[in-house]
Amino acid sequence: MRAEDQIKDTITSNDVVLFMKGTKEMPQCGFSSRVAGVLNYMGVAYKDVNVLADDGIRQGIKDFSDWPTIPQLYVKGEFVGGCDIVTEMTLSGELDTMFAENGVSFDKDAADKIREANA
Amino acid sequence: MAGRAEKIEAKLKGAFAPRVLEVVDESEAHRGHAGFQEGGESHFRVTVESEAFQGLSRIAKHRAVHEALGKELMGEIHALALTVRE
Repeated sequence: MRAEDQIKDTITSNDVVLFMKGTKEMPQCGFSSRVAGVLNYMGVAYKDVNVLADDGIRQGIKDFSDWPTIPQLYVKGEFVGGCDIVTEMTLSGELDTMFAENGVSFDKDAADKIREANA
Repeated sequence: MAGRAEKIEAKLKGAFAPRVLEVVDESEAHRGHAGFQEGGESHFRVTVESEAFQGLSRIAKHRAVHEALGKELMGEIHALALTVRE
């Protein structure tokens, strides 16, 4: 399958997808680690795609999203952003709202704890 | 030849006439990590605040900055932590 088709297939068959360097259990980059850490801590069920395991996907996701960096978060097939945007949205509460609106379950208390720790 | 921090500053000044612009080379903090280049200039933290971003979504703001920096410069630097405000 071409990288683009593989990406489309992944983001349509999973509600939440994180394209990252490494895996959710063992991230290989600080930026990927930060986003995976937020999702893990908030108890979000998500599919992790390790771009380091596939050069086609690594370049393909940058072209597909028109976004030059990894990690990249997708929710319900829509590109949300990279590490900086996800961090901002976590702290502002927008990430909670977006998950709620898309029927993605998450631990609200955990999200509040992240915000308290970074207030 | 200007360093990358100066190039980043010049490009963002030219594109957005920002009221706040901070470009910090954080490369040394990433010594030993992936993408570290001897001599630094690999990891940057940039804060840019400009009226030019008014009304744009978060993604659009970041894309505007990526575009202003250009593919070549974006390709040279390993990491860019970006805060964009209106």
